Order: sequence, then structure tokens, then C-alpha cells
Amino acid sequence: MKKSNKNLLLVIFLGIVVCLPFLLDDYWLHVAILTLFYVIMASSWNLLAGYTGQVSFAHAAFAAIGAYISGILSVQMSISPLITLLFGSVIAAIFGLGLGLLCLKMGGIYLSLTTLGFSEIVHIIIKNEYEITRGTMGLEVPNLLGFYSKTAYFYIMLLVTFIIIFFLAKLIKSDHGLKFKSVLNDELAASSIGIDTVKVRVIAFTISSAIAGFAGGLYGHYLLLITPEMSSLSQMFMILAMTIIGGMGTLSGPIAGAVFLQVLSEYIRIFGKFHLLLFGVISLLVIKFAPGGIVGLYRKITQSKTDPLKIETQSKYDY
Amino acid sequence: MWKLKGENISKSFGGVTALKEVNFGIKEGEIVGLIGPNGAGKTTLFNVVAGVYRPDKGSIYLDDENVTNLNSHQLCRKGIARTFQIPRPFPELTCLENIMVSIIGREEKIHNSNEKLKEAKKFLKFVDLDNYGNILAKNLNLIQKKRLEVARALATNPKIMLLDEVFAGLNNTEIRDAVKLIERMKNEFEITQFWIEHVMGVIMEIAERIIVLDNGEKISEGKPIEVARDPKVIEAYLGDTDV
Ligand SMILES: Nc1ncnc2c1ncn2[C@@H]1O[C@H](COP(=O)(O)OP(=O)(O)OP(=O)(O)O)[C@@H](O)[C@H]1O
Ligand SMILES: [Mg+2]
Repeated sequence: MKKSNKNLLLVIFLGIVVCLPFLLDDYWLHVAILTLFYVIMASSWNLLAGYTGQVSFAHAAFAAIGAYISGILSVQMSISPLITLLFGSVIAAIFGLGLGLLCLKMGGIYLSLTTLGFSEIVHIIIKNEYEITRGTMGLEVPNLLGFYSKTAYFYIMLLVTFIIIFFLAKLIKSDHGLKFKSVLNDELAASSIGIDTVKVRVIAFTISSAIAGFAGGLYGHYLLLITPEMSSLSQMFMILAMTIIGGMGTLSGPIAGAVFLQVLSEYIRIFGKFHLLLFGVISLLVIKFAPGGIVGLYRKITQSKTDPLKIETQSKYDY
Repeated sequence: MWKLKGENISKSFGGVTALKEVNFGIKEGEIVGLIGPNGAGKTTLFNVVAGVYRPDKGSIYLDDENVTNLNSHQLCRKGIARTFQIPRPFPELTCLENIMVSIIGREEKIHNSNEKLKEAKKFLKFVDLDNYGNILAKNLNLIQKKRLEVARALATNPKIMLLDEVFAGLNNTEIRDAVKLIERMKNEFEITQFWIEHVMGVIMEIAERIIVLDNGEKISEGKPIEVARDPKVIEAYLGDTDV
């Protein structure tokens, strides 16, 4: 596909997204806001799994940390959520850094298991520290803006999503991004040419935790009630399925996956929790038959006629 | 006096002793060959020197500094670069990006992107891959992969290069090209080279000194001619069917 065509498509897509509040009813606008939350979550998880090869199960837990820290601070100390949101993100980043330093040296399956354990611990603490978190009853938190407007919230979420995607795109195209990809491609080779692979992974882990914490805070101050469900494995699993089905290791993959699965879940609501099972099956099929996900399939279709060697590179270094 | 020195290096994997009390030294500017039959421990010695494995016993010195406990990336920054027996370029990165990773991994950073690009192209050109800059490394053939790997290692600005069987799988013409490359590496970049070959071939013509490993032990060392005549070396190679 020609570059100009691609840009035109992008502009049309963005135009539609910006107009969504005028096109959707109240309920679907709510779905759109949740979708944006998932777009941020899947994109930041993709930074880990898709660009540095670390399959973390703690991403939802980091969002919950962000939401609860921001929520608790704004409730108990009456600080504006606009400020506590940042605190939530910073605390999530600090936990991310700690967990990263603790287990990124191990890598691989050990990383996954440790993050799984961490995620469960966060879940249990939130459930049981009733005094602070209100346990399964859920914690009521103030609105981010001080007034309730879905349209306004949609635009805030959209702006944040744009900024984060833009930041991730810049990061991936930067020298840091190239280091990420080298570690993903071959850790041993990367370290043999001077790349501190542990440091690279800790940086990616911390950044993605910070983003998850921020997104979690935004989510909480929109829903106005946060529950331990946020840190549950089914929540984590949604993020994982979205990234895989959309296409890991691409910028657009998690966006496509989040939109696709979030809209699909609305239609298969009636099956209750079974929709997760369905997503699991789809994910497995995708991994087996179309490892590039939706985006990979799209690229295959649009690029099949061109020289297979001329694959678009994502870095800024080009001849 | 030694640029790189190993003292009493031992390494075993479970029950297998890969290296037994190996001593070696390499002088600045030298080209030293490391030969030995299959499974002699050559690659293991490289892995220990390059920081992939810690030796069970013994020490490694670079310019008289003890570097035994440094990690791979730290050793690289101190000036030890290496290639792998089975080449490992980053498959999903382009050739240019492969080399770019070395340049951004350097201790002395280049900040200007154009400068970086120029630097990377210089190394691609050095190994005659300048027409392949935008090709993904996984699409190269074996020889091109080996060349890319040499360029990637060179781009870290090393003082010492560890080359693991660069000639394996090459035909005669290709070997001649590779020999030229190695000579240019010495002349243009003034790099000290420590060099593994499985078979006694070209290495005997280029190397100034040869070290022979067998069963994890150093059995001989000296000028190529001396080593080739050493009965112990001949015996070690007799059992080896590949020669
Ligand atoms: N990571 C490892 N785990 C277990 N055993 C290993 C490992 N690496 C090497 N070995 C063993 O150590 C011994 C020496 O292997 P090494 O690869 O160093 O030999 P080599 O001299 O490079 O042989 P070749 O000419 O076949 O490359 C072999 O018996 C090998 O099986
Ligand atoms: Mg070997």
C-alpha cells in the first residue's frame, strides 16, 4: 500500500474516532471509553512482550495499584485526582522497578511465574485490607473532573491514549527501541556487543508499569468504583488476548486487538465469563496459525504482491 | 606483557569436563589460532573469556586487569568482541540495524544520527554488505550472516576479536575472501585476533602462533610448523574423522 493511501486511511480513522461522541449513544460511548483503557493497557503490555520478550502477568495488577493508590489518596487526603493520578503511576513504576530488579535477571518462565505470584499477592491484599481498600465491596472514588460527562471523559482518555501511543512509537523507533528489539531477537548476541540486557529489560518493565498505573487511575476515576476485579487474572488475560489477537510486536496490533475484543465482548455478554474461554481459544488459534495476529494478516494481504524482502523497518535507520 | 591472559581455567558441565587448567596468553597485535578436534573445549574457552560462563577455577586478565567476573556486555565495552560458531545476527533486524546496535551499545556514544548512520555503513561496506542495508538478517545466506556478524563485532570498536570457526562451511574462493578480510582487520583496525578453527588448514598459514586443545587440556603450543609436527597433536587429530 502506498504511503499516501495509508496516511489518508489514518486520517479518516482518526476523524471517525474524534467524532465518536456524536455518533454513539451513551452506552456505546461507555464501551468506547473502556476500549481506550484497554488500548493503553495492551499497548504498554506489548512493549514488554512484543518488543523485549518478557511475558509478564502483573500488568493488570499494576493498573490496580495505580487505581487504588490514586483512589485512596484522593478519598483520604482530599487531593485532586488530577494529582493523585500521577502518584498512582509513580508508585506503580516503583513496584515495577522493584519487581523488575528482583526477577528480570532470571528471565523467561521464571519472570512469568514471579509476576503471576506478584499479581496474586496484590489481588489478595486488595481483597483483604478492607479498612483501606473496602475489599470486595469496592472503593468509591471521586470523578477526575469534579463533574460527570462521558463526552469530556472520552476526550481525555483519547488524548492520553494518543500521547501514550505517540510516546511508545517514538520509544520504539529510538535507539532504546532498537536495544529492546535486539534483546528480543537474541539476548546472548546482544550482550556480546555491549548491550546490558538486564538493564534494557528493567527499563521496559518500569516504563510499562508506569503506563499501566496511570491507565488504571484513569479507569478508576471514570468508573467511580474500583474493585479487586481490576487485578484479577481474567482482567490480565483480556489484555494478553487483545495483544496476541491484534498482533504482538507491532504498534497497531494491540489497538486493533483491544477494539476488536472489547466490541466483541459486548455482543457475547450473554455467555458471561465464558467469553474469556472463547478469547483463549481464539488466541491459541492465532498463535498457531497467524502469529502476526490481525495486523500480520492485514500486512500479508496488502504486501503479498510486493517484494517480500522489502519489509518496512520500524527504526529510523534507513538507506 | 600479555594483552589477554588466562590462568588455570577449568570449566565443567555436570559430569563433562570441558576445560582443565588451561593457560594461554595473547600479545597485542598477534593472530593466535586455537585448534583441536570436536568437543575439545575451544568454544567453551571463548565463552569463558567472553563472559558467557564463569570459569569454575582460574582467572582471566585483560591488560593485567582481572576481568574474570565481568559480564558479557562489560567485557565487550572493555574491548573483547566475538563471533559465534553458528552465526547469530539479529534475524528480525535489518543488516544496518544489526550493526547499529553495536554502535549504540558503545561506551563512547555518537549522538548525531547521521554520524551513527555513516559509521554503521562503514562497517557494512567493510564486509561487502553495503547493498544489503535494508534486508532483514534472516534472509541472508550463511556466508553473508558470518560477514554481518564480523561487521557487527567490529562495530563495537574492539581491541581483541574472538572468531569462532569463521571458515567452516565455506568453499575455497570464499575462504580466500575471508582470509583477506582477516588480514584487513589486522591492518586497518589493528585488532588482536584469537581464532578458532576445527581443521588445520588456512589457519596454519595466517596465525603466528597456535594453541591446541584436546579433551579440555592444552596439549601443544607454538609456531604453526612446530605444532603440526607435534606427535601429540597428530595423535589427537588421528581419532578425528573430519580431517
Ligand atoms: N552449555 C553446555 N552444557 C553442557 N555441555 C556443554 C556445554 N557447552 C559445551 N559442552 C560440552 O563441553 C565439551 C566441549 O565443547 P565445545 O563446544 O567447547 O567444543 P569445541 O572444541 O568447540 O568443539 P567443536 O569443534 O565441535 O565446536 C563438549 O563435550 C560439549 O558437549
Ligand atoms: Mg566449537
